Amino acid sequence: MGKKKRGHPDVEELLARPWCYYCERDFEDLKLLISHQKAKHFKCERCGKRLNTAGGLSVHMNQVHKENLTSVENALANRQGLDIEIFGMEGVPEDIIQQHNQRIIQNFYTAQAERQAATGNPPRGLSGGQGPTKKIKIETPEEIKKRLAEHRAKVAAQKEAAANGTPLPVPAPANGPSPSQVASPFPPPQPSFPYPAGAPTYPPVAYPPGPAPGAFGNLPARPPSGGPIPSALPQRPSYPYPGGVAPLGFPGAPTADELMANAGRGPGGDDIDQLIRMAEAGIKPAKNGEETLAPTTEKKKKGMRMVYDDTEVSPEEKMALLPRYRWVEDAAA
Amino acid sequence: MAPATQFEVAQPPNDAISSLVFSNDSSHRLLVSSWDKHVYLYEIVDEQANLINKYEHRAPVLDACFGANNNEAFTAGVDQQVKRCVLNRPHNRRANPPKQALLPRPLRSLLPHPLPPHLRLLGLHPPHPPPLLPRLPPLVIPLPGKPHALSSSPTKLVVAMTARLVHIYDLPTLASATTPPPPWQTRESSLKFLTRAVACMPNDAGYATSSIEGRVAVEWFEDTPESQARKYAFKCHRQAAPEEEGGGDIVYPVNALAFHPVYGTFASGGGDGTVALWDAEAKRRMRQYQKFSEAVAAMGFSGDGKYLAIGVCPGFETGMEDYTGGLGRTRVFVRELGETEAKGKGAK
Repeated sequence: MGKKKRGHPDVEELLARPWCYYCERDFEDLKLLISHQKAKHFKCERCGKRLNTAGGLSVHMNQVHKENLTSVENALANRQGLDIEIFGMEGVPEDIIQQHNQRIIQNFYTAQAERQAATGNPPRGLSGGQGPTKKIKIETPEEIKKRLAEHRAKVAAQKEAAANGTPLPVPAPANGPSPSQVASPFPPPQPSFPYPAGAPTYPPVAYPPGPAPGAFGNLPARPPSGGPIPSALPQRPSYPYPGGVAPLGFPGAPTADELMANAGRGPGGDDIDQLIRMAEAGIKPAKNGEETLAPTTEKKKKGMRMVYDDTEVSPEEKMALLPRYRWVEDAAA
Repeated sequence: MAPATQFEVAQPPNDAISSLVFSNDSSHRLLVSSWDKHVYLYEIVDEQANLINKYEHRAPVLDACFGANNNEAFTAGVDQQVKRCVLNRPHNRRANPPKQALLPRPLRSLLPHPLPPHLRLLGLHPPHPPPLLPRLPPLVIPLPGKPHALSSSPTKLVVAMTARLVHIYDLPTLASATTPPPPWQTRESSLKFLTRAVACMPNDAGYATSSIEGRVAVEWFEDTPESQARKYAFKCHRQAAPEEEGGGDIVYPVNALAFHPVYGTFASGGGDGTVALWDAEAKRRMRQYQKFSEAVAAMGFSGDGKYLAIGVCPGFETGMEDYTGGLGRTRVFVRELGETEAKGKGAK
């Protein structure tokens, strides 16, 4: 254990990063954060002076330019207020910190699940050299036959259930949470859709039946390596994620992500921030040459959707043909 | 956005905005043409933009510009007519195309036109018109494709057409020509998709084009390999689609481009309702403003660069056969820029 995987910092590392109250961007260290705040949020529009806090900027505007500062620039819509004194990470309200951590954790586990789905690798620590996972199990032919029969019965039951249109009851998790997952002080968010628990045909391995904090209860546990695996996987429910990767839904209070989405971020800074965050979480986003005005490299991205896609006729021409706007010479006079 | 203030124009048009232009001098008059068959004249005084007058037309108006002075305007409509409005006499309108005028900015001659596409130049003059304008017959230049956007700099006229054709005309040549001269330059657009807007740099060095596919290209007039190597294009006005819809990007048309008359930076306005300020030299985005409730349809800087006016209304998107314009949703914002807000940092 203990070997760090490059590119995928663990959740504690992510949570330890300083981040900006005004725009939710996170940074390598506090110095960078403070210089970001001075440049983006506490900079005087009139003379370019960089102040340390919003209050400082307000006083500066007042005294030097005789103007009143009403909001913090480049801030998310609900974070523009001057009433909170922020400097680096100081002064951020507790509930906002909680919200932020929630979001980081959620993003982390979403990214982890996606990585897992993409690479087929288990999350770190799961198949590590520790614990009973590695024990090679030797089955007698009788046991194998018995398992096969169980499996067949199960498949038949599933087919029937599918035919009846009733959702399969989610079998109780056969395995307790793995040691490493329990060890994390930040349980992953509860998935909001029922994953059909996978392949519980294996006799439960001797996991310590740790306190199940509701976490991961519905996630398919990775079967121990070795043994015939794939055919036993139940069919997935038809949720509309082509890649087979479902984001973990997170019902309930609006997350910071949603707040950010509502904050009117267009193509730009916030997207960049999002990209940075995704890159940190290990997701390779499609290349997006926004900020650096890269030379045109025409590559039609998959999933790109143009809101107006007629390459011959302009919107004005179409509008002019609508009855509402059409011009008929006779109607004149 | 504390010091730089933004305010909304009282009594905006009742339907989609087709164009928006400031007067060239510093009087801060603003002309807005609309699909509601009216042209609106506003004036900005003390952080307020008030409607001075509106001028009824018989058909939706596609474009408008000021004439030789503040009291004269030219408008072009869906009825394929160019009209001259005398602005201080509200109801006195001439229905005939003007025989003489300096058009400080070309009007979009356009639309479902039964005739072959052409460019009609109405009495062009060198900059700074003499008090007595010589009478010139309109010069009709045939075009190889439908024009979608045009823009002029002090000496050049850029016409973007279908099939990604771009013609650049030399205005002094046009002014003295009696027969249609060939274009000064013929280019292919750097953008793969339909051109949406063209704007020329105020320093006469080049121009920017934008397309329906969230992209802006910047090019230079000078036809040397060095200058041409400087041209570039970049993506903008896009949004990541939510995962539930399959991810990817939602790509909006870039409906409006406007160069700052003093600093030479430019603003782009897109169907996503955002406006961004760009530094063409340094290839940097300088600012992006809070998103508007509707698509940005038109933009213009005032002659002294103090104000940026932004017209927003519902955007026409593919499949909108029941588009009803923007009654109540059409708005015009005026942003008073901070002293250095639009000033670029220069090439790095």
